[in-house]
Amino acid sequence: MAANGEGEGPEARPPPPSMPQPTRTGDFLGKHRLSAAIARLNQEIQFLEKELNELETMETSAEACKEVFLSTEGRSDALLPVTPGPENPTWHRWFQRVRSSHSRRWWTSKGSSDIS
Amino acid sequence: MSVAELKERHTAATATVNSLRERLKQRRQLLLDTDVSGYARSQGRSAISFSPTDLVCCRILQGHTGKIYSLDWTPERNRIVSASQDGRLIVWNALTSQKTHAIKLQCPWVMTCAFAPNGLSVACGGLDSVCSIFNLNSHVERDSIPVSRVLTGHKGYVYSCQYVPDQETRLITSSGDQTCVLWDVTTGQRISVFGGEFPSGHTASVLSVSINNSNSNMFVSGSCDATARLWDTRIASRAVRTYHGHQGDVNTVKFFPDGQRFGTGSDDSTCRLYDMRTGHQLQVYSQQHDADDDEVPIVTSIAFSLSGRLLFAGYSSGDCYVWDTLMAEVVLNLGTLQNSHESRISCLSLSSDGSALCTGSWDKNLKIWAFGGHRRVI
Repeated sequence: MAANGEGEGPEARPPPPSMPQPTRTGDFLGKHRLSAAIARLNQEIQFLEKELNELETMETSAEACKEVFLSTEGRSDALLPVTPGPENPTWHRWFQRVRSSHSRRWWTSKGSSDIS
Repeated sequence: MSVAELKERHTAATATVNSLRERLKQRRQLLLDTDVSGYARSQGRSAISFSPTDLVCCRILQGHTGKIYSLDWTPERNRIVSASQDGRLIVWNALTSQKTHAIKLQCPWVMTCAFAPNGLSVACGGLDSVCSIFNLNSHVERDSIPVSRVLTGHKGYVYSCQYVPDQETRLITSSGDQTCVLWDVTTGQRISVFGGEFPSGHTASVLSVSINNSNSNMFVSGSCDATARLWDTRIASRAVRTYHGHQGDVNTVKFFPDGQRFGTGSDDSTCRLYDMRTGHQLQVYSQQHDADDDEVPIVTSIAFSLSGRLLFAGYSSGDCYVWDTLMAEVVLNLGTLQNSHESRISCLSLSSDGSALCTGSWDKNLKIWAFGGHRRVI
């Protein structure tokens, strides 16, 4: 668990006694952690209740399913056997002969956008 | 208030949270009147049909001496960075199969790598809990490139990283410390931390992130807590929405091309498609397994084709199923084709123009797959 101090400011609590008994310090830490955990749970409850309310008026999945269906139609796709155009000629570069350097190390030049 | 009273309150609040979650689950179930395949069938669609030689392995990138864990393409189409158990990053020209850079890492246990949008630097992270940035134009020293920036702050392993698409200087990481972090790469500072001790953060390691290409303020994360969560980078205090359904670690998340949905892959052997706005689980992609299978394979990585019609899913078995996203049917298995990988597929990703898929495997190789058959353009 990340100890993220950004959201939790210091709380105004009296400092523990200078010679703390183990049980009192243990109690203090236990109460602090429990209170923080309860506060988080209460906030979670609020958000869950809000989400439940949201669901009262939310549409069913059919609308989103229709959107998925429509979004795949009409988009050209290089990996489909049947696809709407336009067909980009660079799709074929994977099956064209490529001139490769004979040297072992070969860097692309700065700013170049396409090796072929 | 005594400790005992506080404990009672804690127990009661926990019970209320659990009961609310159960009610939410049931209410959501009632709203699922159809899934994507049900709708597609009602429109008379049938599954994509591939000929045996349509998708072929057209390149094998060999050079790593250990399992491949991660890979990423450049936006400029042809270069790939890969990360391996051998403690190196390699930058490849995928078209010529040449290696252009080999970076020996100080910490060899690397889990993730990413290319910057301008293609001039790469990032990686792993069991050192930091994200390291390398400038590819740096002068090579002792056969490697020196690290140009280290992003420190995570208190757990870095499992994934991705640059924000339209911003060279911003990057998002996800970690075993249950948080995601948005970084400014130029200063090395954390801009925002998502999760951690705040409510509605992940409650276990965060294994993957995917940033929305249509709106780079939004990203999803997948976690060992079996959920995916949607975040708005401007609101770090709370996840926008939590997506339930998986029964195991969510290893991989990827936005659908329309930017309104996203896919997930999990240890429970399924992929799922969720609607970002409503939270509905729109489809489950699940294959029947033989009863005498020793192990049900886990989904390690996913990618959508450019139109979204195909969902590529890599599995621990070495299979790489090509799902018809609309019909929820497996239309091809790259794992049974010629030149398929011999071991687990750990990562996969599509080139930015959608013309090639790169898969990375524990067999130490990367393979490029492209469409080599007869294409009908309508």
